Amino acid sequence: MPARLKKAGLPYLLLAPGLGWLVIFFAIPMAYMLFESLKTGTIDTGFLFTWEFSNYPNAISDFSEQFVRSFEYAGIAAVAAVLIGYPLAYVIAFRGGRWRNALLLAVIAPFFVTYLIRTLSWESILSDSGFVVSTLKTIGLVADDGRVLDTTGAVVAGITYNFLPFMILPLYASLERIDPRLLEAGYDLYGRRRDVFLRVTLPLSMPGLVAGTLLFFIPAAGDFINAELLGTPNQFMIGNVIQSRFLEVTDYPTAAALSFILMAIMLVLVIIWARIAGTEALLGTEGEER
Amino acid sequence: MTDFERDYERFIRAEISRRRLLRRGAAGALSVSALSYLAACGSETGGGGGDSDPKGQQAIKKGKVGDSLYFANWPLYIEEDRGTLKEFEKEYGAKVKYIEEVNDNTEFFGKVRQQYERGDSGGRDIHVVTDWMAARMLRLGYVQKLDKAELPNVTANLIERLKSPPFDPKREFSVPWQSGFTGIVYRKDKVKREPKSVDDLFDPAYKGKVTMLTEMRDTVGVVAASMGFDPEKATTDEFMQAIEKIDEGAKSGQIRSFTGNEFTKDLPKGDSWLIIGWSGDSVQLQADNPNIRFVAPETGVHLWTDNMQVPVGAPEAFTAQKMMDFVYQPEVQADIAEYVNYICPCNGVKEILTERDPALGNNQLIFPDEETLSGAFIFRDLKPEEDQELTEAFQKVIGA
Repeated sequence: MPARLKKAGLPYLLLAPGLGWLVIFFAIPMAYMLFESLKTGTIDTGFLFTWEFSNYPNAISDFSEQFVRSFEYAGIAAVAAVLIGYPLAYVIAFRGGRWRNALLLAVIAPFFVTYLIRTLSWESILSDSGFVVSTLKTIGLVADDGRVLDTTGAVVAGITYNFLPFMILPLYASLERIDPRLLEAGYDLYGRRRDVFLRVTLPLSMPGLVAGTLLFFIPAAGDFINAELLGTPNQFMIGNVIQSRFLEVTDYPTAAALSFILMAIMLVLVIIWARIAGTEALLGTEGEER
Repeated sequence: MTDFERDYERFIRAEISRRRLLRRGAAGALSVSALSYLAACGSETGGGGGDSDPKGQQAIKKGKVGDSLYFANWPLYIEEDRGTLKEFEKEYGAKVKYIEEVNDNTEFFGKVRQQYERGDSGGRDIHVVTDWMAARMLRLGYVQKLDKAELPNVTANLIERLKSPPFDPKREFSVPWQSGFTGIVYRKDKVKREPKSVDDLFDPAYKGKVTMLTEMRDTVGVVAASMGFDPEKATTDEFMQAIEKIDEGAKSGQIRSFTGNEFTKDLPKGDSWLIIGWSGDSVQLQADNPNIRFVAPETGVHLWTDNMQVPVGAPEAFTAQKMMDFVYQPEVQADIAEYVNYICPCNGVKEILTERDPALGNNQLIFPDEETLSGAFIFRDLKPEEDQELTEAFQKVIGA
């Protein structure tokens, strides 16, 4: 029965482009990189495949400082982004009214300018002789011989700023889906605003919060532009190391090993986060199930 | 123009100018890293593209001028209207394909390595790379020996100081395109007195206002010289001591950051006052801001050269030599020198430029006198292991 066969094959056919994409742009490069990470040699002598597993522990011990720093910066920035992003998403979703779309657009608008240019603008704005620093000096927030640019604060702030929309959009999407009648029901049951928020709104927005933190944290931990432009070598993150190993030192095995380690840590963190928050939240299905 | 606009203009210029640091262009860096990575990883075995002993190889055979010539150079490294190339086309009838594809020595190496390894130049007839990379290309047997008989203008006009670099003492495998100095660039209005040596960069009064270059040889060479070592023959240990000194400066916050071309942006803004930087960019900066000065440290200024080479398997090697020789006619070179403002490697140009623009002709950074040139050092040719060791140590200092 050809018709039925066709029907049976259809899902696979529909999956094919996606699977093909994954294989070509994910699986193959991954395998290739794994292969590279187990080589030894230099650019002059060429690289030989020798099952060099020691590349991994060596990479970790050489660059543990930058690894720790990456997750520290990304973590602080993620917390800051929740503190800024949640209220913002909440207001847009519940109080936005007819301004909703305009406000959302305002959130996305910075994305119309490339990431690099935005970060470079901060470099200019925070410049030692710029008005921001001189104002901060006048009110005494920055010491007279102090600076803002090329400090840890600038890097973390840069990361927060650059990835903030990744936090806000999923949060908004889940908040916006909440049926206002559920909130009314909460008030009808004599819930105070705080209770309604903690028992109704917050749990229902968990999928957005989880998705937002992941979307924020993953690129933030691997970022190197903010540290490069707004920081100094004392702020460099693991992304800077990988970048430099590939392009400056041309030590491809270490660079590949570092990329894998970063990926592994990220995966472990995602799993832990998923355990804590629940996989339903991760997949964004919680709301529908209840 | 507001300050903000000026910053942007500078950034854009820094972005595309010759010594652009690759990591500036994030997106570009990422895609290029992937490409050069793929290209560089393909080959498993060690060096030796064409001949196992490049020094013993036969010079490029005489032939006739072909129809085309593929010239790979750095961005903004020839006059804007490319008149030189047009004249060459007119004289020799060979169409010049001039590609500004060398943004960074290492990146370019990653891109061409696999091809060169197979003895395939990827169609290139001339590439331009900095001394140390030119040395690596030679060591790996990726470049052809030149026929000096075909280069009479080069022989006649090449300035004395560049005639025998450590990596190619007889200039048999390379011909300088342009040279430059690495020294101290400073803001006259910000420093207490004119800096004389690199030691001034370690003066606590300038804490956080000092930057150095990310190019290992530039920074380490100048610092090593200030410590009394001679970068033309220093041992790895001595270079390591210089790296340690730089490390201390970076850790203590004395050195604010390490830059490529971005110093052209930080200096005018006032984020840095006293830095290690390149001469050509300083000439351009000074034109906009007279407070910006370049000074050759008393302890030694670094003289580097970007060299034309003919890669193995170049389809038009003979024509390539014609081009190399062509730009060593003073009238031709004058057009290039007038635009790029780096050190002109060709005798007889000074007179021509002085007539056109006395300020340029008398500029010590474009036409340095014999004394300045002989005082300048050329970083010695490092063995691959030494190169690896120093590059790694230095990269750790500059943050990765």
